[in-house]
Amino acid sequence: MIKDITIGQYFPGNSVIHRLDPRVKILLVFAYIVAVFLCKNFYSLGLMILLLTVIILLSGISLKLIYKSIKPIFIIVLITSLLQLIYNKNGDVLFEYWKIRITTGGVFTAIFTTVRIAALVAASSMLTYTTSPTMLTDAIERLFSPLKVFKINVHSIAMMMTIALRFIPTLIDEVDKIMAAQKSRGADLESGNIVDRGKALVPIFIPLFINSFRRAYELAFAMECRCYQGGEGRTRLKVMKVHARDFVAIFIMALVIAGIIVLNHFFAAVI
Amino acid sequence: MALLETQNLTYAYSRGTPFEVTAVDDVSISIEKGDFIGIIGHTGSGKSTLVQHLNGILKPTSGKILFNGEDIHSSKEFTRSIRFKVGLCFQYPEYQLFESTVFDDIAYGPKNMGLDKAQVEEHVLKACEFVGIKTELLKKSPFDLSGGEKRRVAIAGVMAMEPEILILDEPTAGLDPKGREKIEKMINEYRNVTNNTVIIVSHSMDDVAKNASKVLVMNKGRVEFFTGVGEVFSNIERLSEIGLDVPSITQVFLELKKRGYNVRTDIYSVKKAKEELLRLFGERGVI
Repeated sequence: MIKDITIGQYFPGNSVIHRLDPRVKILLVFAYIVAVFLCKNFYSLGLMILLLTVIILLSGISLKLIYKSIKPIFIIVLITSLLQLIYNKNGDVLFEYWKIRITTGGVFTAIFTTVRIAALVAASSMLTYTTSPTMLTDAIERLFSPLKVFKINVHSIAMMMTIALRFIPTLIDEVDKIMAAQKSRGADLESGNIVDRGKALVPIFIPLFINSFRRAYELAFAMECRCYQGGEGRTRLKVMKVHARDFVAIFIMALVIAGIIVLNHFFAAVI
Repeated sequence: MALLETQNLTYAYSRGTPFEVTAVDDVSISIEKGDFIGIIGHTGSGKSTLVQHLNGILKPTSGKILFNGEDIHSSKEFTRSIRFKVGLCFQYPEYQLFESTVFDDIAYGPKNMGLDKAQVEEHVLKACEFVGIKTELLKKSPFDLSGGEKRRVAIAGVMAMEPEILILDEPTAGLDPKGREKIEKMINEYRNVTNNTVIIVSHSMDDVAKNASKVLVMNKGRVEFFTGVGEVFSNIERLSEIGLDVPSITQVFLELKKRGYNVRTDIYSVKKAKEELLRLFGERGVI
């Protein structure tokens, strides 16, 4: 049951999207998000969806996974589109009952915001689906390295992120194991009121915390044994390089943004 | 009627995804009262998954588990009551200790059974005696104990529920020889005193040969053998095919036979080995 969590899940592959430089990928996702907010009508939004579809097809990630990434925000999307439906009074009246008046403007903006939020989430999950957590934190470290000027230790932050991501599946496994063990001793995790249920969690969380500390000490020891002393003077096995395909990707994104500005200019705005 | 029985038990992990693995495949076994069963198999052969079905922690994908003839998943209440009748002690159980004192930790199971204070104390003290935890340790924090002591406290936590069947998943894993010996001794004593059914999961043939009366050999989720110890270990070819060793003592006799000595090969204990060797010496007139 806990195994269904998909935070930062990575699906290994060898597509063009997988092979893009992670730094470029992060920047492109930011550009994509900005571009989606620049869209003012269905034509420009359609262009963004087209781009997303091409990216998904190129990456070979199944549509089921994309759906899975959008599913958790379904309620937020529903509420925002409902509010749009009720409060937007522009355009022709389609339906009127008591104080509720639904207009074409409301319907359009509701659809527009829904598609926009879904595109945002799908695009950012494409980043985590096609980039391994280590690559991602590596890229973040590189991108934020100018912050060293302000005495911010970017390397340590990136290392902490890598370790945290690395231990998510381990901890999930551990919780499953401890739960099974305490259930075997008759722990009842499914019935009783909130206080009872809270109390029933104690036998699960105490071993979990203790084991996590133990693991942390072990990891720190192991890192010290391998002479880890922070980012100072550290070189890499895999040096990130910007390839021709990265420039192509940046060029395409620039083209799409230009297209959006043109489309916004020539067609009437919905929002 | 068997005490515990599985009928065509099958279990698949990550069902309906490309990562689906059938961990237990069509297993039908029956366990009688008083049996001492050793379950052996290679890593990933489904031993641990199988035993987690026996107390209802995992629900089979298909098939049934019967306790005294009743399906253990017939109702939620019944499934929960089975946990007290079939005590399962996981691998590395010392990582599940959580209470502030050893006593409270061992008492967790009995308390969950709904026993009153006096009964809980009786159960705890009895379990401590089996595992050799001295009463002065009961007031200590379980986290201050040594590794071997923690392991024994954790096993006591399961024994204290006084289950009709005690299942121990790799009880000696990661312990030094002395610690292993202590645990083995303690399990044997527990069995001799209570005459309850005991199931031990292990991948050490020597361990199983020394203690168990029946052996269940698992291979790729299926039951390869489920018979007496001697019979299993005489199937050396099949055992080595599935990546398991026969006990060292049996290996000696197999080698002797290969070199032309007329010896039995179903030998797996020191006592039997001694008898057989003396017989052989007598036959050849050495003594």
